[in-house]
Amino acid sequence: MGNILEIRDKLKYLYTKNEVFLLPVLKFMLAFTAICTVSGRLGYMAKVDNLGLILIAALMCSFLPVGCIVFFACVFSLLHLYALSLEVAAVVLVVYLIMFLLFFKFGTKDSLLLLFTAILSAMNIPYVVPIVAGLICGPMSVVSIACGLVVYHLLYNITQNATALSAMNTEEATAKIKMVLNGLVNNDELLVMIVAFSVTVFVVYILRRMSVDYSWTIAMVAGAIVNLMILLVGDLVLDTEVGFLGAFLGTILAIVCAKLLEFFRFCVDYNRTEKVQFEDDEYYYYVKAVPKMTVAEQQKTVKKINAQKASAAGSSYGRAAGTRVETERTGSRTNYYREHASAPKSVTIGHSAMEYEEDEFESLD
Amino acid sequence: MINEERVILMTKLASYEANEGKRASKISRYFRGDYVSVHLLKGWISITMVYVLLVALRILYDFDTFMENLYKMDYLAFAKGIIIWYIISAVVYLVAVYIAYTYRYMKARKGLKRYSQNLKKLGSMYNR
Repeated sequence: MGNILEIRDKLKYLYTKNEVFLLPVLKFMLAFTAICTVSGRLGYMAKVDNLGLILIAALMCSFLPVGCIVFFACVFSLLHLYALSLEVAAVVLVVYLIMFLLFFKFGTKDSLLLLFTAILSAMNIPYVVPIVAGLICGPMSVVSIACGLVVYHLLYNITQNATALSAMNTEEATAKIKMVLNGLVNNDELLVMIVAFSVTVFVVYILRRMSVDYSWTIAMVAGAIVNLMILLVGDLVLDTEVGFLGAFLGTILAIVCAKLLEFFRFCVDYNRTEKVQFEDDEYYYYVKAVPKMTVAEQQKTVKKINAQKASAAGSSYGRAAGTRVETERTGSRTNYYREHASAPKSVTIGHSAMEYEEDEFESLD
Repeated sequence: MINEERVILMTKLASYEANEGKRASKISRYFRGDYVSVHLLKGWISITMVYVLLVALRILYDFDTFMENLYKMDYLAFAKGIIIWYIISAVVYLVAVYIAYTYRYMKARKGLKRYSQNLKKLGSMYNR
């Protein structure tokens, strides 16, 4: 466990140190995945289904706010649908507009959830979303998740009926619109999933906030069970096409993802929980302090410095390159100082050692 | 010598300025009534547009039936139904907007109050 915690701390440190570069890379990857999913599923306009164009759009997204990823995904989907049928594109545009006007004026913070819901639904693993949203977002995330499900089912219905839609004449515009909207209106699966995911988010959110030990684990397991139960009942009552085995496996994956999230975001040591009680003139205070799980990072210490035969030109610090530094890991910082204090002053240290020294001082600060 | 308490306080202040502070300072330029009213107005425009779009979609969904009954239908009852549903949707949505933006305003004010308290505290640390 100690090693895993150490790796976590190192990853966190790496992320914090390189956040300026990592964030655009992550945004690029997300945008690329989103647009590729849209183009892969729809792909009716050959001009837009172009890797170069997708890469340019994803690159732009990496420097723009997160909401722009959703915008670009919407634009790409509309272009593809326009190639399929003007009426279909118009209906989908209206649905997008309704969602934007009603919900996303409150803030685009949750727009990522919409995107994740749609992408993961396309990958048949949307069960991760409500559990994770319940853990790290609030109950209002239900709106974004529902919108994501609506978008996915709308587009899925269009892809299923693409052949029929493209074969229809322009005179049959109303029939086309009806066919597209049937994906939302007469869709029991969508209804069951919205209900299941909403209830799951609420259950996870409420349990996660409870003042009990292992509240995060309880919340994610309870949420997963509730989600599965509602999907199962919905399947039995409304005869939806939610595959129980897929839902079960997806839920297990969701718990694994949630546990990973818990590990990185909320890793606490319940064994060292302290409960204290005190009072002042007005109140009694019952305080429960749960310490974070941390480990003291092992420090590298210089054990031996071997001079190599090849002596290259000196570095900018005026020291000769080409020396090799052997290090070992110890748990205490005093060793580091002791080793350095005893190191001969005349030893020349190469570039790699300089980097190492700088890291050491940073970690000590 | 680094003053740890001062550094912590400055970090908190800088973090607030970089994130929530930006939005909060914009919000605090308004009185609460003005801020909420502006968003209620925007919300009313939004819900009106959405309602029009929804009615259009509803008609288009069953366009053939609608056209068949066009000359037989009771226009007054039809209009009455549309208006009643519009009023109900608008009221529900605007209540939600009112609650959301009042909460947002209060939160921003509270954050700014805490921010100014921390600023004062920091100032007093330097004056010590």
